[in-house]
Amino acid sequence: MKSKKVEAKSNIILNFFSSVKLAITLFILLAATSIIGTVLPQGETLQFYLENFGPTYFKIIKSLQLYDTYHSWWYLSLLGLFSINLIVCTIRRLPYTMRLYKRDALDLSMDDLTRRPFKKIWKLRPDKGDKELYQRIKAVFQGVGGRIRMKQNVQGGDLFLIEKGKWNYWGVYFIHVSILVIFAGAVYGTFTGFKGRIMLLEGESTNQVMKVDQAGNIQKIPLNFSIRCNKFRVEFYPSGAPKLFQSDLSILKDGKEVKKKSILVNDPLSYNGITFYQSTYQAMPEAIVKITSPDGKQRLLHVTAFDRAMWPETGLILGLIKYLPNVHGAPAARIYIGEPSGNGEALWLLQGHDKEYKVGDSIFRISLVGGGEKYMTGLQVKKDPGVWMVWLGCTLLILGFAVVFWVPHQRYWLWMGKGSDNLKIVLAGQTNKNRISFEKHFRKLEREIENNIGEA
Amino acid sequence: MQITSSYLLSLTTFFYLGAAAIYLLYWIFRLEKVGILATIVTISGFLLETVGIALRWKESYALGYGHAPLSNLYESLIFFSWVTILVYLVVEFKTKNRVIGAFATPFACLAMAYASFSPNVQDTIQPLIPALQSNWLIAHVITCFLGYASFAVACGFGIMYLLKGDSNNEGLLGALPSKKVLDELMHQTIIFGFLWLTVGIITGAVWANQAWGTYWSWDPKETWSLITWFVYATALHARFVRGWAGKKIAYLSIIGFISVIFTYFGVNFLLSGLHSYGSS
Repeated sequence: MKSKKVEAKSNIILNFFSSVKLAITLFILLAATSIIGTVLPQGETLQFYLENFGPTYFKIIKSLQLYDTYHSWWYLSLLGLFSINLIVCTIRRLPYTMRLYKRDALDLSMDDLTRRPFKKIWKLRPDKGDKELYQRIKAVFQGVGGRIRMKQNVQGGDLFLIEKGKWNYWGVYFIHVSILVIFAGAVYGTFTGFKGRIMLLEGESTNQVMKVDQAGNIQKIPLNFSIRCNKFRVEFYPSGAPKLFQSDLSILKDGKEVKKKSILVNDPLSYNGITFYQSTYQAMPEAIVKITSPDGKQRLLHVTAFDRAMWPETGLILGLIKYLPNVHGAPAARIYIGEPSGNGEALWLLQGHDKEYKVGDSIFRISLVGGGEKYMTGLQVKKDPGVWMVWLGCTLLILGFAVVFWVPHQRYWLWMGKGSDNLKIVLAGQTNKNRISFEKHFRKLEREIENNIGEA
Repeated sequence: MQITSSYLLSLTTFFYLGAAAIYLLYWIFRLEKVGILATIVTISGFLLETVGIALRWKESYALGYGHAPLSNLYESLIFFSWVTILVYLVVEFKTKNRVIGAFATPFACLAMAYASFSPNVQDTIQPLIPALQSNWLIAHVITCFLGYASFAVACGFGIMYLLKGDSNNEGLLGALPSKKVLDELMHQTIIFGFLWLTVGIITGAVWANQAWGTYWSWDPKETWSLITWFVYATALHARFVRGWAGKKIAYLSIIGFISVIFTYFGVNFLLSGLHSYGSS
């Protein structure tokens, strides 16, 4: 008694999780809630929401994680429930579909036959029941195309069957399983891969990827190789719209170049499962500075914003704070100059007016030779070991749809045998999709058989 | 005067307007000759539009850009109407029912009129920005719009179904296909559209992965295409729930198409995101 109760209870739960009603409820909930993230700005700081929406709405936004709707606990729960729905539904229906699939369509009685959605019965006069007519009608039936099967002695007659697209039964499973495969690929990729950025000046190389997490903290992900930007190119159409962003990249392993590629926006570089995408660029001001040491040695240094230029023998370090291409007809730059000890100062350089910098008693002369722009390329970096599963799922999904849409399960039956005192012919048909076009074919077959009977 | 693609395409608008009017007359008076005329006008408009699209492609090569005419709002609207007419003509051919034309051609006509005469839509041929320079552009746009156009036609079926209501088979409503046939047609067109919407979303994902390294980034356009997908998934599953077939699916086919329109225009005009180049 008790076990039956438990069984009934578990059946209720299983019924709930496998029901089409739950699927529909989830579709509607997902559709409705997905709107939120397209209307409310996503991924801003909490401060932003407090300032723009006031304290009441801020509370709702914060507790429901509406600042990141699609990764919020409740949205992910809906997706999780959706997956459970798919899994339970698939498993529960499997035996039923298997039975349908295995069922032999020849294994049916005359009563079954006349209960098919499409049917036609002819009763002929006894003199028409000859062998030749039998053969002719069989030939017409075969005109449907496909494999014909026969069973003798079905209530005193021969039963023929042409069955097409039986595996249409599995199309829906393809679709449902493929969605689970896509989810699995997405989850696997999220936990085993990463997404980050790299900003590289022309000529610069790095073996670290920057990743900014939800809280805005920068995390550095080390690579076991280096990537160098050799050159960056940007071109524009006459209208001013961008035409080309291109970075010439090299992969370096132990200082040696192992791979080289010019990447474009739609043409990334992959190495060791990590892919580099052309994402953004920045034009960085650059000042060319000449330094003369006390003993008369000279050195030209290219000083770029956000980077340091060095003259190792003297220990001097230079940085660019500001570059102005035209101050009273000449370029000017505000630079920082310093030593490893930490001493240093910021000074304005104007072309044609040298400045001095003292290190102890030695005096270095500094002059601005010129300036210009240097490019910094912005690369999106991604490692996603789950992406192949996503593509596998997508392929299955499309195949599933193709089967469901273009391969209807169609059956045509033809029974010929003796009625009470005459030849009887029964034509029957059934389809699970696209009744309209099936009906057309069926009526055509019906007419052809009719014509053959008429001629006899 | 040199004939430009824009000229041919704005001319097409009037063909579709005429076709819609003649289909309407056919529905009212049910004269076979009027019906045939409607089909002829529609096919003529379709051929004219095809020439217009081909010419525009050629013009883009003459300008030195050389890309398929599927790259901005104007071109996508033109393509939308082209596919809508194509899907409709297939349906007409298969069902031999011309009354459906009165519900399908207006969508194509409206899209053409908006493309050709709205001051918000520029008909100049623009070169492709780097993000759009990909072979996936053609696959993505064609598949998405096959879906959109099918949904437009399915929406037409939905409206017909609801108009039909519980009426008997007399008068204007009697000329509409039976509810059983409409239900089946609606279901078939929705599956067809759903298939192409799915392929459209997938090609978009493949492309995004190649261009930006993420196949899904919850950009408003992506999200709205998913919302649309959920609406039609509901319509497809509703058949299996008792009491949900018929009328509810007809409503869903209309709601779904509203969602399509929002995915298509609303996102461009009201929300910002990665698809911004589709808005001018």
